Amino acid sequence: MVSKESCRNEIRAAIRQLSDRCLYSAAKWAGEQLVGIEQDPSNFTPSNTRFQRGSSSIRRRFSTISTPQPSAGFSQPPATPLPQEEDEVIDGDLYLLAKSYFDCREYRRASHVLRDQMSNKSLFLRCYALYLAGEKRKEEEMIELEGPLGKSDAINRELVSLERELSALKRTGAIDSFGLYLYGVVLKEKGNESLARASLVESVNSYPWNWSAWSELQSLCTSIEILNSLNLNSHWMKEFFLGSAYQELRMHGESLAKYEYLQGIFSFSNYIQAQTAKAQYSLREFDQVEIMFEDLLRNDPYRVEDMDLYSNVLYAKEACAALSFLAHKVFLTDKYRPESCCIVGNYYSLKGQHEKAVMYFRRALKLNKKYLSAWTLMGHEYVEMKNTSAAVDAYRRAVDVNPCDYRAWYGLGQAYEMMGMPFYALHYFRKSIFFLPNDSRLWIAMAKCYQSEQLHMLEEAIKCYKRAVNCGDTEGIALNQLAKLHQKLGRNEEAAFYFEKDLERMDAEGLEGPNMFEALVFLATHLKTNKKFDEAEVYCTRLLDYSGPEKEKAKSLLRGIRMAQTDFPSMDMEHFPL
Amino acid sequence: MAGLTRTAGAFAVTPHKISVCILLQLYAPSAQMSLPFPFSSISQHNRLGLYLLSLTKSCDDIFEPKLEDLINQLREVGEDMDAWLTDHLTNRFSSLTSPDDLLNFFNDMRGILGSLDSGAAQDDQIILDPNSNLGMFVRRCILAFNLLSFEGVCHLFTSIEVYCREAHSSSAQYDESNDNLESLIQHDQMDMEKYIMDKATEEIELQKNASGRVPFHLHTPEALFKVTEGLLVTRKEKSRTNTKKAEATQLACASSSTVDDTLVDESLFLRTNYQIQGFLMEQADAIETHGSSLSSSSIESFLQKLQNLAPELHRVHFLRYLNKLHSDDYFAALENLLRYFDYSAGTEGFDLVLPSTGCSMYGRYEIALLCLGMMHFRFGHPNLALEVLTEAVRVSQQHSNDTCLAYTLAAMSNLLSEMGIASTTSVLGSSYSPVTSTASLLSVQQRVYILLKESLRRADTLKLRRLVASNHLAMAKFELMHVQRPLLSFGPKASVRHKTCPVSVCKEIRLGAHLLSDFSAESSTMTIDGSLSSVWLKDLQKPWGQPVFSQESGSRKSSTFFQFCDHLVSIPGSVSQIIGASYLLRATSWELYGSAPMARINTLVYATLFGDSSSSSDAELAYLKLIQHLALYKGYKDAFAALKIAEEKFLTVSKSKILLLKLQLLHEHALHRGNLKLAQRMCNELGGLASTTMGVDMELKVEASLREARTLLAAKQYSQAANVAHSLFCTCHKFNLQIEKASVLLLLAEIHKKSGNAVLGLPYALASISFCQSFNLDLLKASATLTLAELWLGLGSNHAKRALDLLHGAFPMILGHGGLELRARAYVFEANCYLSDPSFSVSTDFDTVLDSLRQASEELQALEYHELAAEAFYLMAMVYDKVGQLEEREEAATLFKKHITALENPQDEEPKNMA
Repeated sequence: MVSKESCRNEIRAAIRQLSDRCLYSAAKWAGEQLVGIEQDPSNFTPSNTRFQRGSSSIRRRFSTISTPQPSAGFSQPPATPLPQEEDEVIDGDLYLLAKSYFDCREYRRASHVLRDQMSNKSLFLRCYALYLAGEKRKEEEMIELEGPLGKSDAINRELVSLERELSALKRTGAIDSFGLYLYGVVLKEKGNESLARASLVESVNSYPWNWSAWSELQSLCTSIEILNSLNLNSHWMKEFFLGSAYQELRMHGESLAKYEYLQGIFSFSNYIQAQTAKAQYSLREFDQVEIMFEDLLRNDPYRVEDMDLYSNVLYAKEACAALSFLAHKVFLTDKYRPESCCIVGNYYSLKGQHEKAVMYFRRALKLNKKYLSAWTLMGHEYVEMKNTSAAVDAYRRAVDVNPCDYRAWYGLGQAYEMMGMPFYALHYFRKSIFFLPNDSRLWIAMAKCYQSEQLHMLEEAIKCYKRAVNCGDTEGIALNQLAKLHQKLGRNEEAAFYFEKDLERMDAEGLEGPNMFEALVFLATHLKTNKKFDEAEVYCTRLLDYSGPEKEKAKSLLRGIRMAQTDFPSMDMEHFPL
Repeated sequence: MAGLTRTAGAFAVTPHKISVCILLQLYAPSAQMSLPFPFSSISQHNRLGLYLLSLTKSCDDIFEPKLEDLINQLREVGEDMDAWLTDHLTNRFSSLTSPDDLLNFFNDMRGILGSLDSGAAQDDQIILDPNSNLGMFVRRCILAFNLLSFEGVCHLFTSIEVYCREAHSSSAQYDESNDNLESLIQHDQMDMEKYIMDKATEEIELQKNASGRVPFHLHTPEALFKVTEGLLVTRKEKSRTNTKKAEATQLACASSSTVDDTLVDESLFLRTNYQIQGFLMEQADAIETHGSSLSSSSIESFLQKLQNLAPELHRVHFLRYLNKLHSDDYFAALENLLRYFDYSAGTEGFDLVLPSTGCSMYGRYEIALLCLGMMHFRFGHPNLALEVLTEAVRVSQQHSNDTCLAYTLAAMSNLLSEMGIASTTSVLGSSYSPVTSTASLLSVQQRVYILLKESLRRADTLKLRRLVASNHLAMAKFELMHVQRPLLSFGPKASVRHKTCPVSVCKEIRLGAHLLSDFSAESSTMTIDGSLSSVWLKDLQKPWGQPVFSQESGSRKSSTFFQFCDHLVSIPGSVSQIIGASYLLRATSWELYGSAPMARINTLVYATLFGDSSSSSDAELAYLKLIQHLALYKGYKDAFAALKIAEEKFLTVSKSKILLLKLQLLHEHALHRGNLKLAQRMCNELGGLASTTMGVDMELKVEASLREARTLLAAKQYSQAANVAHSLFCTCHKFNLQIEKASVLLLLAEIHKKSGNAVLGLPYALASISFCQSFNLDLLKASATLTLAELWLGLGSNHAKRALDLLHGAFPMILGHGGLELRARAYVFEANCYLSDPSFSVSTDFDTVLDSLRQASEELQALEYHELAAEAFYLMAMVYDKVGQLEEREEAATLFKKHITALENPQDEEPKNMA
């Protein structure tokens, strides 16, 4: 296990270096982790306690479950030494000027100031400023040149020259890890993924504290094979990386394990808490996620990141008031964030104002065209508005942003089913099940499709319901449907089996309702025709507890049983006369 | 969806258009001058005018020429003042140093336009009529420029820089060659009056040219095109090929390299929606025509580029689907098809086909189902396809999209008739559509018939000419293959005529082709999308003079073809495809009816006239037919040579039938040469092709087992052969394959004949003959008659007279239309009959026998049919022996020996054509 103190020192130095190079988001991330480290009780000062949240009762409840013993970690890897800053007295003045230009978002000016500077630091800042200038121009051009058929081919015009310069530097070896990071970004933008990956790996191996490099690397790891093939030095930053990469690859258990481990050091990191909540959300542990987010908001009330997830939870729990509160707060903090728009959209959706919801989702997408959940949620809204073709369009865009999004595939299937095209819909349900094979809801949707009167493929429906049962159907639709389908197909034995199972389930959950009556009536009649009178009687007497037509039915069944029972012994007598 | 609504027909200012404007300024300067400065003669001036006119008309083309190309063209047009023209052009461009210069430039452009109330202009002033083509062009340019935002002007400015920079390097080398500026200045003043008259007539001419066209003036009129081209040719030598011509030819071949080249500039000028749609349509045609011979990766790469440029253009996905379909990539095809319809709801690209049915909010997902069904069909999942098509029927009924319904029904009937689906009740029975549910009681064939009828009816009311035509063809095919009897007849069976009627087949074919003569109605709406602004479909709207197939009479005169050839250019691909298909069907029907020459002529007509526009699978079929014909009538040598050519051409086509044909030919060849091992091997390979799965069509399955039986027969394993033939007959009966039944019966008769069981063979032969009669299969009937005669002879020599009579009855048909083998067989048999007839004396009538034997032996040698050839020579030798011609006898005997040895050791001459 890495000692907390060394972590702290590493991060402190790194933040300085990162912000010196204007890598602000990486510096921000590092800063969050720095205050997330638990303080030593020895140098406990009142000013530090501001960030400590040991007092939160909820927090204690969860942290006791998950925190592993710090001593049980792996052996300390050879620590990457912190690079010492080179002496920059000579070009220091110009650098300071360039940095202030950069801070004022005058990127070209900044790079111009540094045009003749040769030190690594100036070199990086010049290239980085140039890159950002190109990006800015690209985004402007994208809007200017937008043709009737969508965006034009606006590209970052600095990429070519940057790539040429950086690759030359790399060849001569005069490139530091920040330069490698930028080189990786440029390569990725140019579509050369494998080279980009190599460059980023080199960068993080020599300077692991640059979270931006890690996240670029993570976006290039689209499969577990690629992830495993990376040759990464072990460092505690790698654990962060693996946690987020596993999450992206839908390996939630592994990711949770990583975060639990990291919590041993960074026990108060908001980042880790949010990531854990994300993973839990994917595992559909809504209650727990809600508590975590509440906690998070209490400590970091102006946080916007990941709050869309929180709003989803609130939506699922139909907590209107809490959702509106969240939306209000987030809107006051930053109105023009895709997350904020998404939260407001969720709120309106919950209120049933679907047009307004669509408007806000649209706004979110205007801010970030690749915002996956907004596409999917907008699809849901269109489905509610019965505008199926628009829904299909939205879902399809979600799927094209991320083909693993099972919700959007499911939505597509649903939309087509709504349009009376069950056979066409089946393909989409199959797709969604491929990505989430253990969800009973998807199996039930597919079974319903097969069961639809247009297709009437009951055998296939039965197979799907069986899978749903195996996946732990919580709503209890599958068992009932299985029983009914078997009954319809005249397979009474199977039907009885599933009715019985369904009955068990309902008993266990303490439910009552028409399904129960149906099961009881069927079982009683079935057992009676099979001459199992005792068992039939049990079901009949259960039915007698309820009022209504079922009671009458039970009475007549009982009468029949009595009749049959009195008949049979006499027959026995004939066969075996004493 | 958003893509279509936003400024659909935008006209963007591009550097090329600016150069045209600069030239226009030269052509018609606002100054008061009779003849503008650099021109030495009026004809020179007019020449430039004509050139500019053609430029403005082609400026809506998707590919714009580079400055370099333009300069080269100018050099051709401008004659001795070319240097001045190009200099002016480049100088004008280089004087555009800031966005403000552009603004001024377009302000100046306004000056060369006359006021709208023309006539007020002074006589000696050259001004552009604002309503003329050139004037319209200038106005559009000015308007488009005025609509630009400042950013847009900046982008135009940068693209001009790139445009000039590209040309700069190449233009430098020409500069010194013609530097005779001085001579140009001395231009002679011309008689003014004459000039004005010229000018006026020219204007009238132009107006006339333009008036007949679509108001948009998007096509370069043919006449004008020729004028410019004529101009160009007068120049000493054509240093470079005219780019326009290159464009025109390029459409025909659509070679991927040019596509790649030109798409590079695409990044500079993003075209209008129409242009791109038209371009995509063209590419789709190319994919179909060339099949997978067109490299799919190159298409993929340009699609990728296009998608990057225009992410809202969903047709790209559809094109990618087509491409994947033709390169047999099931998953990618499916994925792209679904993606296309998800994005566009089937309304992009298809919407203009059916302007009548307003696009509902539901989208056009029934078209998606239709496409999906056809895709499954193509990939060999008939059950899946049927399921999807049933859903398509339901959905199109639900959305009352009758057009789609008609197409779906046609697709369904096509599916049912091609795939051997014995019972569809499980699938169709469950559907709720009235069309299919009434059919649930009927056999597949009857259902096909009903579907076709329904589809035809709907297509007729909706005036979908193409569909009507192809339905007629399908109907003809159906009537050709199936016994026509009233559906659900409850009356006495006697009234039912069990016959297919050649007249009705012919009528259907003719109806199909004839209907297309006035295709313009449908096609214009079909292709409006995109083609309007693309040069390659420029002749589409040409007034269609007289119907191509105006003659109703049976005999098609050659004049029709020439007339047809003239118009061929202007017929959209899909129409000529259907007409072509009608010729193929004619060929097939003649093949079945037994007229070899007619079949051949029709195939040849197809191959020569429709070869370019046909889809690759149709072209392949034509080649197959011709090769088969060669094999039957010219022997194997020619056939194999032809096959080699065809193989190179078509082997890349998916679902290629070439392999099948090759196996068939090799099998036939091996059987004739007595190489049973090889025959067996070929047979097994055929069997491999015809696996028992559903996706393989029945034709192939029947063919495989038919050949198996024949191989067994040749190996003298009679009982096994009979077994195979019997089970084949049962299959044919089950799937209602009547024509195949006739030939299987004939095969059974053959088997019994060969096994020496003539009595058993007789009923089969008779049954086969009656089948042939009811289906009008004349040639097959003749060969069945021959077999019947052989069987009679097999019963004993006392039946020789009767056999001979039978044979002579069939002789005209056999000699007129039969293949080599059949003819030879008939001849040998005739000789046999004579020889075994006790009343026939060899010594007196030996010439009759020898004649037919000689005929037979010639044909058999071409076929390399050793067994029968040996028999013929044997008989010949015997006859010669009888009449005492010893020399000839010896000759015949040696030939006999040669064939016998060849028959006994077939291995030592392996066919060289074995792959």
